[in-house]
Amino acid sequence: MEVLRKYASELLEKKAVAAVIGYVRVSDKRTRPAIITNPEDTSSLVFDNYCLNNLSVYLTKARIKALCRTSDKPMKLAITAKPCDVHSIVALIQENQIHRDDIHIISFNCGGVVKDFGLEFSKETLASKCIHCESQKPVYFDKLFGEEKKIPAAEDKQLQKINEIDSMSTEERFEFFKKEFDKCIKCYACRAVCPLCYCQRCITDKTIPCWIESSSHQRGNFSWNIVRAFHLSARCTGCGECERACPMDIPLGLINRTMAIEAKKSFSFVSGRSLEIPTLVGSFDVKDSDELFM
Amino acid sequence: MTEKIILKDDFLKICSDLLSKGDTLLAPGQAEYIRIKDISEIILNTSALPPKTSFKSYAFPRSEPLLYYKRGKNDVQIIDINVEGKNIVVIGAKPCDAESLSIMNHLFTWDYEDEFFTARAKHFIVIGLMCSNFDEYCFCTSVGTSPVSEKGSDLFLIPLDENTFAIRIVTEKGNEFLKPYTEFLKDGNEQNSAMITKKVKFPEIAFDKDEVYEWLGNNFESPKWENIGNVCLSCAQCAFACPVCHCFDIVDEDYSYSEGRRMKNWDGCQFGHFTLHASGHNPRDLQSKRYRQRINHKFRYYVDRFGKILCTGCGRCSRGCPVSINIKEIVSNCKD
Repeated sequence: MEVLRKYASELLEKKAVAAVIGYVRVSDKRTRPAIITNPEDTSSLVFDNYCLNNLSVYLTKARIKALCRTSDKPMKLAITAKPCDVHSIVALIQENQIHRDDIHIISFNCGGVVKDFGLEFSKETLASKCIHCESQKPVYFDKLFGEEKKIPAAEDKQLQKINEIDSMSTEERFEFFKKEFDKCIKCYACRAVCPLCYCQRCITDKTIPCWIESSSHQRGNFSWNIVRAFHLSARCTGCGECERACPMDIPLGLINRTMAIEAKKSFSFVSGRSLEIPTLVGSFDVKDSDELFM
Repeated sequence: MTEKIILKDDFLKICSDLLSKGDTLLAPGQAEYIRIKDISEIILNTSALPPKTSFKSYAFPRSEPLLYYKRGKNDVQIIDINVEGKNIVVIGAKPCDAESLSIMNHLFTWDYEDEFFTARAKHFIVIGLMCSNFDEYCFCTSVGTSPVSEKGSDLFLIPLDENTFAIRIVTEKGNEFLKPYTEFLKDGNEQNSAMITKKVKFPEIAFDKDEVYEWLGNNFESPKWENIGNVCLSCAQCAFACPVCHCFDIVDEDYSYSEGRRMKNWDGCQFGHFTLHASGHNPRDLQSKRYRQRINHKFRYYVDRFGKILCTGCGRCSRGCPVSINIKEIVSNCKD
């Protein structure tokens, strides 16, 4: 922890970065994102199993980007990112939302995180993304901290549920999602925490014409959740923030992971893993299989 | 106020009777106030933390039609909706939830009576239950209520032992409600239940609400807002989980060219488009301004207009905040 704090403080002192986006501890089992611009404030930075947030969501915020233009020459933003958060950064770079050169990635060898704040980290409370994690080491970084760790092995209940839903009839599947989407209150916490939901104006906020009704009745909830699934397919990197943020416990991870599984199966593509491989949507080819849609 | 004693089993018999009469019974579950189908679902646990959402949606639904319209050749036909309130009995309401309807009632009966809210709210019977637990997000004592507060309850339960409750009759409505069930009631003694409530641990008072009120009036441009605005991600989890947040939007939904309906939907002041004008101008264009609005509305503007704080100290907004913003901490820092 000390090395991280020292490193971050030096970056700010040298004016190598305008701000460090990091985690600070607020209680035993809870951390909070912090945008640190003062070297002295780096003393509260932490990194551990309770650093749940995917901080890359802040990289596209105008108010955070503005910090880089506060002195004569434009400065970088430093971000503390778990290896899975780096995937989101890769996706953002590939979608031209940020430049690799503008970001200083401080990453860690990760041993997994807890699924929600307030829980004690253990194999039972492991976030579902960690259970099937294949990237404990970051694919890109400017500075790496921590020794290699092992994520405790746990049952992949999410995958079991996906397989269960797959084996359902269309009607049963509809009933399952109807029940889940009925809970939606349209607070848009899923959208707010998603690094890839960076649209300046979301389609749901458009009123003329109104594509997605703001009412949280069945039609409004279905249209929102399905549009979100479409917009994120083959883009979502699986950080699991939407599911964690949902106050109504809608299992959004099931949808996103299913889409990811399909993208991998049909196109051998996994989002955010490499800057060299073009995005799936950006590499459309007329020869692509359309079996998925038929 | 009078106090009676009732056996838990007898209390459940009352619930069972209400169910058979077709009343809606609500009781706190883990995620929300659940609609009771069987009395075995009623737990009456004083040590449970508030569920993730309050029961406000039963009086102020997240989405409801206000009217239907049909376009004729030369006119528009309006079909009104009459909300008929049905009895809703909240069993074991947390003291921080019990007051929610009466706090919101100020707004909904202010310059225009929102009959959709009042028609439902007046049919509520709130049976509060003493609370014996709090966590780092609870601050009911700082906003003038407490884990043993009867405010907002029509009847208030205090467990005397595992099988017996003291039942305080707080309002006339509560008194009327109990009339058919006098056979179950024994005379109680307020001193007995006071012995129990005295032992309840209260969350520490985190801030002085009058001091906060003063500070907010003098610090509209404080840099503190910017610090919070940088972290807050502009979702409405806080507003929608809040037992007293009541902002709504009105939109028309067309089914076809000639038919549609007008909807009243929850809205949240943290959304960027909440204050977006048709001209494109947005007076609260930054998240810092929106967060400032949230705190000012709760701890200053509502006090100015209605003499009440628009907050019950339940801590839901903080418990569920995806970026761990803690309202108790923020309001405690509303001082120089």
